[in-house]
Amino acid sequence: MREPTAPARHPRAWRILATLLAASLVAAACGGDDTDSADPGEGITDTTLTSDTDEVVPGGTLEVGLEAEATSWLPGEGVFASAQTNVARAIYDSIAAHGADGEIYPLLAETIEANDDATEWTITLREGIEFHDGTPLDAAAIKENFETYLTRDTSNLSASLAQVTELRVDGPLTYTYVLATGNVAFPDVLTGAIGWPFSNQACAEAAEECGSNPVGAGPFEMESWQRDAQTVLVRNENYWRTDEAGNQLPYLDSLIFRPITDEDSRFNSVLAGDIHVGQTLRQSIVRRAMEEADAGTMQSLTAIGNSGGGAIFNTMRAPVDDVRVRLGLAHALVQEDLIEILGGTGITPPQTQYFSPDSPWFSAAVEEAWPKYDPELAQQLLDEYTNDPDRSDGKDVGAPISIEFNCPPDPSLLEVSQGYQAMWDAMGVEVRLNSVEQPVHINNAIGADSNPPLSGNYMANCWRMGANEDPYTTLRPAFSDPAVEALNFTNYTSPSVQENLETMRTAQSFEDRYDAVEAIMMEFTEQVPNTWTGGTATALYALPEVRNLGGWTVPGGHQGDGAMEAQVYWAEVWLEQ
Amino acid sequence: MLTLIGRKAIGLVPVILAASFLTFMLMSLLPGDPALVILGSENADPDTIAAIREEMGLNDPLPVRYFEWITSAATGDLGRSFRTNQTVTDAITERMPVTFQIMVMALSFALLVSIPLGVLVAYKSGSMLDRIVTALTFGLLSIPNFVLALFLMIIFAVELGWLPATGWTRFGTDPVGSIKSGILPALSLSIGNVAVLTRLLRTDMISTLQEDHVVMAKSKGLPTSRILFRHALRPSSFSLMTVIGLQVAALLSGALIVEQIFALPGIGRLLIDSITNRDLVMVQGLVLFIAVVYVFVNFAIDILYSFLDPRIRHGNTTATA
Repeated sequence: MREPTAPARHPRAWRILATLLAASLVAAACGGDDTDSADPGEGITDTTLTSDTDEVVPGGTLEVGLEAEATSWLPGEGVFASAQTNVARAIYDSIAAHGADGEIYPLLAETIEANDDATEWTITLREGIEFHDGTPLDAAAIKENFETYLTRDTSNLSASLAQVTELRVDGPLTYTYVLATGNVAFPDVLTGAIGWPFSNQACAEAAEECGSNPVGAGPFEMESWQRDAQTVLVRNENYWRTDEAGNQLPYLDSLIFRPITDEDSRFNSVLAGDIHVGQTLRQSIVRRAMEEADAGTMQSLTAIGNSGGGAIFNTMRAPVDDVRVRLGLAHALVQEDLIEILGGTGITPPQTQYFSPDSPWFSAAVEEAWPKYDPELAQQLLDEYTNDPDRSDGKDVGAPISIEFNCPPDPSLLEVSQGYQAMWDAMGVEVRLNSVEQPVHINNAIGADSNPPLSGNYMANCWRMGANEDPYTTLRPAFSDPAVEALNFTNYTSPSVQENLETMRTAQSFEDRYDAVEAIMMEFTEQVPNTWTGGTATALYALPEVRNLGGWTVPGGHQGDGAMEAQVYWAEVWLEQ
Repeated sequence: MLTLIGRKAIGLVPVILAASFLTFMLMSLLPGDPALVILGSENADPDTIAAIREEMGLNDPLPVRYFEWITSAATGDLGRSFRTNQTVTDAITERMPVTFQIMVMALSFALLVSIPLGVLVAYKSGSMLDRIVTALTFGLLSIPNFVLALFLMIIFAVELGWLPATGWTRFGTDPVGSIKSGILPALSLSIGNVAVLTRLLRTDMISTLQEDHVVMAKSKGLPTSRILFRHALRPSSFSLMTVIGLQVAALLSGALIVEQIFALPGIGRLLIDSITNRDLVMVQGLVLFIAVVYVFVNFAIDILYSFLDPRIRHGNTTATA
């Protein structure tokens, strides 16, 4: 076995004096977000890299710094955000994966096929794949995963799987998801935790500790997990995949994931050479990574994706239940300035819809129609409401509009909240800012105890919206009937939205589905259930010796979706030694 | 002596009970549903939330939950984390050595610097050195440890590459690596203590140096170092010891921040994560543990007084005889 590769150090002693004198820089770093206006370059690095596997040197240990620790590695029990997904993708292979072209490709599956009305999805697994403990990956294992773990009462996947009425085993390697109603976007869920098969035997043996001892069919198996310190994974010697040249995957001997929650510390750890790769979802760090990449000390794989920041309005709560207020507030915002506050200038363009310009679902017409900064129109709309004797907030004619705006106590979010406050205040709107912790923030948005139930205990919240998944998967929970759908945080829906969601669920052709998506997005430009700042830039930053970080593929040579949301598959990453 | 220890130990029980009860009530009053934290906003289905609340016993009345918890805790079972399913005892056992090592290193560094420095400036009281050290200690006291932590990280890890910026090596695995990974966090924690202890010792020493037994030692022609460290330091160290006991709390609260910055898997980081994520059982167990540690450290210092000062030792012996 090769010696682990020690990360390179970059001592620059001459900078110490400058560092000592630059106390203000440290203070800025402590603030968690920088807003300097240095232009890091032309903008976004393309993450859909071509594979870089011509001169692969197998072996070595790669250390990766992540923004958070996992609570559990068991699908249905753990919450898999970007950080945890990076680890999970090394331990579990998924049934399917997203390609760079937006298509979904089989990974552990050989084929994924639907019946005519998309009510049955039949999966045939590849032959000969085993979990790390040697038990076979077959249809029976998938069924037991489904029935024993994924759909139990306390599973966090049970809501997503409510559409599945039965998982039917059709053969040793073939099984079918039977859905209550057809859903052409169903394979989307097979790219995430629902599609990560694991060994039932290992889980049963581990009993209550199952979540700490994951046994999947991925390229690496867990050697140890020391919470908040490190997760050590070693090569799965029986991994089922080879690269296009026939070389056994994975290339690395081992992977060490270290949760380093402080953004500056994680970035400094890469600079110091303690770790090879860092991950961030914070724009100020994305910027610093791009600057280091320009200087040649790092490489930066940056992506915007569909996720974007903004504000959501509770459309059942006065005064934002009135579209004139929502539209007026949207026209009062200078998106570019809000992006600058977030440190995203030159990194992310203003967002106008649930899809970034790189997405096949993006609409230029919607971009054009999205309410732009127009103080006169904003004032006119807000005055119209203010002077309406039947205004929904019950205040006297002429009384100023009052908005309560909530945001978690993250430094950059507090700054952007003040940005909203200043821009709306300029229109004569009274804005009260509330800093609320994340659990309370989510609690208030759902409003299980609100009246009417699930209508939310908030007026306006800062929020992150959108995801790199099928539009139906994103938009259905967000805009279905709010009386029954807890995840419709804005409470906005309409007959036309329902009709278009139905089209997205059933239509087979991309064009029909695109038209439905565009119609919903266009409706939002008029109804404004939420506003936008910019897309959420994410990055993986790495030392130069890390190779093929975003160049992973799926069988058949199809390119994967790179480092989208700062997460990759690790089997094809290698270290230049 | 044993009676003294026993009496003091019994007095600790209500303190620990009160700390645990208050924590339980305060955590229960915090807004934010732990079930939602477990599920995440994307999976917040009301039926699943209800099932999780039922499984965690969150629907039971507060007094019932506290009684169940405290009776289990009395048998050594602090429960399981809502969030990670790890037993609280395992979590504490796993993380205690990290925080303990950092605290010991920080305190050792503080004492190694502050004792000679405090003695020296007391001896040179009023001199230029005294004024410089006084100004310096005021300066050090004003630097928050998180700022200092980032400074040290940039200089010693990023620029010089002498020490790791983040991470932890277990002492049992690699003692040298473990000490190296603890140096920056310990320094960040100890600088404030150096200032406090130096100033305290200086004041007490100046007073002691004017006492009769010191004047007598000087008149006998004893060497200065012997006078300072044998005759003056011991009677001057009572306040120092009291403050060291109190500083355990300061070090623990400092660890909350420093462990976060240096990504150390210690008690402080676990406590912050648990509070943020409404992991009531874990917070409850950790607070109980911290309360016990704090109370016992101060208890140990009380006992130590009696060893250092024969008047206390004999006074108690006489009283209980």
